[in-house]
Amino acid sequence: MKRRTIVALGLTVVLAAALAAATSSATKKATAGSITVWLQTDAQSGWPDVVAAANQKFQADHPGTNVNIQYQSWGDHLQKLDATLAGGGGPDVVEMGNTEMTKYMAAGAFAALDKSQFDNSANWLGGLAASGRFGGKVYGVPYYAGSRVVTYRKDLFKAAGINKLPATTAQYAADAKRLLAKNPKKGFSPVYIAGTDWYVAMGFVFDYGGGIATQVSGTWKGLLSSRQSIAGLTAYKNFFNAASRASKTTDETHPNPYTVYAQGLVGSMVGPSWFTCCVGKKYTASTGQFVMPGHLKGQAMPGFLGGSDLAVPVTSSNKALAADWIKDFTSTSSEKALQAKGNIPNATNLLGNSINERAAQRSWFVPTAKHWVDVENGNILRNMLQQILTGKLSVQQAAQSASDNIASVLNQS
Amino acid sequence: MPSTSPTAVAAETTLHRSRRRRRFWEHAARKAIPYALIAPVVIVVALVVGYPLYWLGKLSTQKYGLFELIQHHGTSVGLANFRSVLHDQVFWHTLLRTIVFTAANVGLTLVLGMLIALLLVRLSGPVRILLTSGLVLVWAMPVVVAVQVFYWMTNFENGVVNYVLTQLHLGDYYQHDWYGSPLSQLTLVTLLIVWGALPFVVITLYAGLAQVPQDLLEAADVDGARPWRAFWDITFPILRPIVLILASLSIIWDFGVFTQPYLLIGQSKITPGNYLMSIYLFEEGYFKSDFGRGAAISILMLVIVAALSVVYVRKMIKIGTAQ
Repeated sequence: MKRRTIVALGLTVVLAAALAAATSSATKKATAGSITVWLQTDAQSGWPDVVAAANQKFQADHPGTNVNIQYQSWGDHLQKLDATLAGGGGPDVVEMGNTEMTKYMAAGAFAALDKSQFDNSANWLGGLAASGRFGGKVYGVPYYAGSRVVTYRKDLFKAAGINKLPATTAQYAADAKRLLAKNPKKGFSPVYIAGTDWYVAMGFVFDYGGGIATQVSGTWKGLLSSRQSIAGLTAYKNFFNAASRASKTTDETHPNPYTVYAQGLVGSMVGPSWFTCCVGKKYTASTGQFVMPGHLKGQAMPGFLGGSDLAVPVTSSNKALAADWIKDFTSTSSEKALQAKGNIPNATNLLGNSINERAAQRSWFVPTAKHWVDVENGNILRNMLQQILTGKLSVQQAAQSASDNIASVLNQS
Repeated sequence: MPSTSPTAVAAETTLHRSRRRRRFWEHAARKAIPYALIAPVVIVVALVVGYPLYWLGKLSTQKYGLFELIQHHGTSVGLANFRSVLHDQVFWHTLLRTIVFTAANVGLTLVLGMLIALLLVRLSGPVRILLTSGLVLVWAMPVVVAVQVFYWMTNFENGVVNYVLTQLHLGDYYQHDWYGSPLSQLTLVTLLIVWGALPFVVITLYAGLAQVPQDLLEAADVDGARPWRAFWDITFPILRPIVLILASLSIIWDFGVFTQPYLLIGQSKITPGNYLMSIYLFEEGYFKSDFGRGAAISILMLVIVAALSVVYVRKMIKIGTAQ
């Protein structure tokens, strides 16, 4: 009897272990004559020509060196990066979101770079340059930044009798009502916002003077439960209910707002300015953009200033080549091409007066904490928004719990 | 030869000795054969399972974060990782949710599998072939593709499920959000998993049904036994070993299932409110880059799965010895 149990236990352990063993995908080892670059899919859909031009320039300077561009998605690229840091065979250049840099720099994941090697490095955008600096060294080269603007259908606005673009959030909500009245088609969103798009929602929070978290004498304190933040979240809830028919539980990439727009179901949408890329041929001519208005007249709603850096992992065996490629990809001509696509270039001397650049004048950024990326990946903000919009919790309750949660994550050692 | 010469004696002793030696080697070889036969399996298991398990165990007693990952060595912290996991409320909630989830999945898979297998026996040839090919096609579909198809079908904007339910006048399902609550999310995941697991279970059970002697069933019928009675008293006992194997395999699969829930629910909707064990492990270990703690969680999972299926495996062995 006893022996049988032991045998059974042993057998099950073996069975379970066999199944628990994770499969690891083999990564291709870069040969000496090639470098591997991980870029986000934004480049693939938005500016593949800029990438191609940089590759061409790089190959002219380094004949015979291949550039292997591998496109990654924001959702899982850090897990892949972790795996290659442990096992090798990873990229020589990696694109990192500016909110993701700190954790990796603190862990020693990137090689220090010589700033003077890159074009316009004396004039790099302050916020972006800061996200690539750690302990006095430069680990990340600013790639581009982006603010969030409203992309809208000029024809629909006109048909609804909206002759002046909204100057306040309240006006915008009123316009949404008029758009809705003119477009009774089921599922039509006057202002498409995905329910858990925290980049938009936090704009309301900052517009009302609230915030996410702040550091008080070395300890992070959650700010979402403050009076101002609650006012902002309440305004977001009301605005969403008035204007968006998107799912209350989905994020801003499932589906991509521009996909719904291209189906003719959107009057306007809030997002990166490059959204114009994919609004569909039918609507390209009738598409315009404006800066999202805040709740006070004459003030734009603060937009998330997102951005990317390019870094060289310590595991790269071609660090010099990698830095050279970054130099070519962030050259003045390359940055100007990125600007032409609606992005904010990486240096102040290149700034123009595009809508994106104007929107960036009033912007907000996430807390610069080592563990911030854990807050993002843990979906704390998204979960809060879902609870608020579906009415599962009151604004107060959801904000309080998220605020406490964020503080505890940021204060981890 | 009348007298034995010394050479002959010597030769004889050598012969004896060599014969004895040969007998010894034969004996040894005969004894060694089973070990030699089992050796490849033992070596493979040791390499494939033992070695990673050893490292998993070692990792679970270390502080191993992103910094240690890059340095390629961690610092020993004893059982701190296990203590931290066992004191985590999220762990216990996730464990309970996963057990209920596993029970629902395994139960549904086996009951539906059994019903379809019994149906297969009764079907006419062409229909049976049609159904079986359908099942094989399901089996052949890669999980990731299946997830995508389910995702599209239940899509908020253009999902065919919402469309059909509305067209059938079962209510207004236009823009119905199937991913609105953990219960609804996990129900969809259950549907997907059961759908994907059925072919294997059905085909295995159908093969098992071929072993049930028809004359026994006919005799039962003649004696006036109802179909239900005949199933429990004749069919099921014969199928029991197969059902036990299927049940234990299903428990192991469903308890640790990752791909379907992670992809169908979607990363941006994964929160402690809908964690399953494997997702908890992934979030804690990988997303937070706390690999030591992740290793501790996976060892706990291993122990739990072993505990859950030990009953079944014991029964399996009992059946084996009885036969």
